[in-house]
Amino acid sequence: MAGRGRIDLVGLFKRFPDGTVAVDGVNLAVEDGSYCCLLGPSGCGKTTILRMIAGHETPTDGEIVIGGENVVGQPPSRRGTAMMFQSYALFPHLTVRDNIAFSLRARGVGKAERYREADRVIEQVQLAALASRLPAQLSGGQQQRVALARAIVTKPRVLLLDEPLSALDEFLRLQMRSELRQMQRQLGITFIHVTHTQLEAVAVADQVVVMDRGRIEQSSSARGIYAEPKSAYVARFMGGQNVLSGAVAEAPGAVLRLGGPRGQHFLLAARERRPARGQTVYFSVRRDRVRLARWARDGAPPDNAVTGSVKAVEYQGTYVKVTLALAMAETAVNGADEFVVYVEEGGYFGDPLGVGDGVVASWEADEARLLAGGPAAGAPH
Amino acid sequence: MLSARVRVALQVLPLALVLLVFFVVPIGFVVAVSFFHYDDFGIVPAFSPENYAAVLSEHLTLDLYLSTLRFAALVWFFTLIIGFWVAYFLVFHVRNQLVAIGLFLVCTVPFWTSNIIRMISWLPLLGKEGLINRGLIGLGVIHRPLEFLLFSDFSVVVSYVHLFTIFMIVPLFNSMSRIDRSLFEAASDAGTSRLQTVLFVVVPLVKSGIVLGSIFVITLVMGDFYVVRVMSGGSRASVVSAMFDDISVLLFPHAAANAVFLIIIVVLMVGLILRAVDVRRELVDQR
Amino acid sequence: MTNSSGNRPWTFYALAAFFAAYVLFLYGPMLCIFILSFQGQGGALVFPMRGFGLYWFIDLFTQVRTGDVIGAIERSLPLAFIVMALTVAISVASGMAFRQRFRGSGILFYGAVASLVAPGLVLGIGIGLMFQLLGVPEHWWSSAVGAQLTWTLPFGLLIMFAVFGRFNRAYEEAARDLGASPAQVVRLVVIPIILPGIIAVALFGFTLSYDEFARTLQTSGPTNTLPLEIWSMTTNVTSPALYALGTVTTAFSFLVIGISLGAIAVIQRRRFGRALPAKRP
Repeated sequence: MAGRGRIDLVGLFKRFPDGTVAVDGVNLAVEDGSYCCLLGPSGCGKTTILRMIAGHETPTDGEIVIGGENVVGQPPSRRGTAMMFQSYALFPHLTVRDNIAFSLRARGVGKAERYREADRVIEQVQLAALASRLPAQLSGGQQQRVALARAIVTKPRVLLLDEPLSALDEFLRLQMRSELRQMQRQLGITFIHVTHTQLEAVAVADQVVVMDRGRIEQSSSARGIYAEPKSAYVARFMGGQNVLSGAVAEAPGAVLRLGGPRGQHFLLAARERRPARGQTVYFSVRRDRVRLARWARDGAPPDNAVTGSVKAVEYQGTYVKVTLALAMAETAVNGADEFVVYVEEGGYFGDPLGVGDGVVASWEADEARLLAGGPAAGAPH
Repeated sequence: MLSARVRVALQVLPLALVLLVFFVVPIGFVVAVSFFHYDDFGIVPAFSPENYAAVLSEHLTLDLYLSTLRFAALVWFFTLIIGFWVAYFLVFHVRNQLVAIGLFLVCTVPFWTSNIIRMISWLPLLGKEGLINRGLIGLGVIHRPLEFLLFSDFSVVVSYVHLFTIFMIVPLFNSMSRIDRSLFEAASDAGTSRLQTVLFVVVPLVKSGIVLGSIFVITLVMGDFYVVRVMSGGSRASVVSAMFDDISVLLFPHAAANAVFLIIIVVLMVGLILRAVDVRRELVDQR
Repeated sequence: MTNSSGNRPWTFYALAAFFAAYVLFLYGPMLCIFILSFQGQGGALVFPMRGFGLYWFIDLFTQVRTGDVIGAIERSLPLAFIVMALTVAISVASGMAFRQRFRGSGILFYGAVASLVAPGLVLGIGIGLMFQLLGVPEHWWSSAVGAQLTWTLPFGLLIMFAVFGRFNRAYEEAARDLGASPAQVVRLVVIPIILPGIIAVALFGFTLSYDEFARTLQTSGPTNTLPLEIWSMTTNVTSPALYALGTVTTAFSFLVIGISLGAIAVIQRRRFGRALPAKRP
């Protein structure tokens, strides 16, 4: 039998009355007791999925299976889920204690007992000193803790968090982020966390699900999604990658040889896919795995390299972000005219580059990764 | 658990019933009676256009409508000017929000007093022996009491403005409170003068408040029958006060025909105003 | 116009003077009749004061010629409370429904607007005709209640629109998420959060009914409500007893409002604590 907090979404589909399709056939499995992040730009359907799991939205089609049981049609309170709302939705007329005891009150638990139970959770989230305050008298971080306490007092098997950190300032966000992760480990229940911030997702989650236009683009571990994006969309959306393309020239064995736009060749491992000769394929190269060198010549660049001129240099503390404008021919093929390289700080200042300098950016063949799909529009960073 | 649809239906049912029983059906009765026949012996159910013919052929009808519309226009003008600047002062010039709310309440307090009492409270001020005439004579500004102050068009308009300005202030205050103050800075950065800011920024943003207030004031004046009577000393009449005279001598069918006529005109006016600004959208879907 | 330099623009002073003039215009006449209601026995409807005392108040409640003032108050008060209660219940319920579009919502909304703008006397005549033709006797507690609701409900509805426009639906979802039944959602969450708005509707309902004249005139049946009593006094009574009645009814209205506003203030203070005196930028 599957764990109580295991979630399976099967063929989940949601069309709103106005005709927009928010969720377009999603299949997803989330392990019991894991921390899963749904990540994507606004309007990608991630919040709709969360609200359907919680029971605040009804799927047009598909199943939501929690702990082996299809919960579609059940009211929110029977699903064993608890939701933390984006703006927390703390009841403004109730004190911290009464907010946290609300679910017990709804169940008809007596005052003494529900306060005892609430106070236990208040201790857990370190709010004891604020128990008789009203929400308006709390800071953003405190409000978030109350919302968390109010949700976990129901002893859910799944906690659903809708952009839980978006209302906080940068400093608190980092602090609360680690508190959330800690709380999840402590409780041992499944967390599903919706966010549009890549760094937030990879920082907390065991499983990151990248979404676009109602579909799942990729679902894997945080490291997997960042280091091994499956599609151009994910590579661009997660950032830290350059996406390039080339036509397959030959595929001898496990290695693909792509024809580059300026006569060079790109070599990369074919892995499980076998694209046909002549097909245009996309691949990614991590920004921090690229070497930069000055390049003054005109001719074809070496294999596994592109040439261009420095467009911008941004100092980032531990590294320097160098943005290249690729030569014209490359632009035409790639669809993107920028190539970004993260240069280690110490190395960069040995021979600093100026805007307009000609450079060649090269990488080892095993740093290039074959991607699925085309150069879907994303949000490069 | 009730389905959402049934719940909504149950929630609006009482409102719908009240409107049906005490608004739609009674108006239906008025319409029906407007076609009844009446003579010296009483009222007879019939379907006859004679009352409409009578109303339309009377010279008085046009005079009554013109006079009522003239009052409505004058009062609308004054209440809009006063209401706009009072609301503007409270919302944008009073810095402390508590003070602003306090002053707003000061404006609304007289509203809780009977309209009739507030109307007659002008008598000791405006009369021949009234405070204003005595004061002006005492100061030597005039030698004889000013006659036009009381029982005149002037006193009618003063009373209307006194009674109804609040209906303009409240919706304007509400609309103005929702304006983002940084718009003023943006406007002055763009080099607009104070007056331009009011005309090009504030007025468009409070359109729904102006519309709502205008509907209140205009329909209140159009429906009045006692202020015009008392404050003009009986020398002026309005459409509804003529109706009131009809029913006090039991000329129900004649009054009903007149009422139907008035309702059509009021509905047309309000409909035209609402066509210009979709108040429902601004009220209900304001998020 | 809120420059932080501390210097107020000249427009502030101009508008402040304008505002002061308006307040004087608003209160001046009423103050006159409040003062005049304390006329001595020989006093008239105008200044100067001839003596000072409660003579006309006593006259108001003891003289037969001034009509049945106490009886009118005894009818107007329960009438106002009935209308208030119905207005609150019906406006809140329909306010909740109007948060979504439903079939007929447009007709109902414009129906309410029409009921608000319809000439009151015409509506009163219609309701009177309806009762007459159906052979049902009119009473202040039947026909007049209905007539006044056509006036108070649209106002209540407009206030509820404003209230629910600011109401975050996530509160309801959160309550449902925490296991509250639909009835509990309304009782434990929606009603407490919108309570100040509900009190405002109650306040409007009460005073609109207590002062209602045009719609009640033809629908109150054989007995008078207070505004009708005042109306008949304006034609019959030519003594400062009329002003005394104005003073009494106004004082009473203020009492009701004072209590209600106090209640709102207490709720707001309890809810927002120190957060209330929000400073404007």
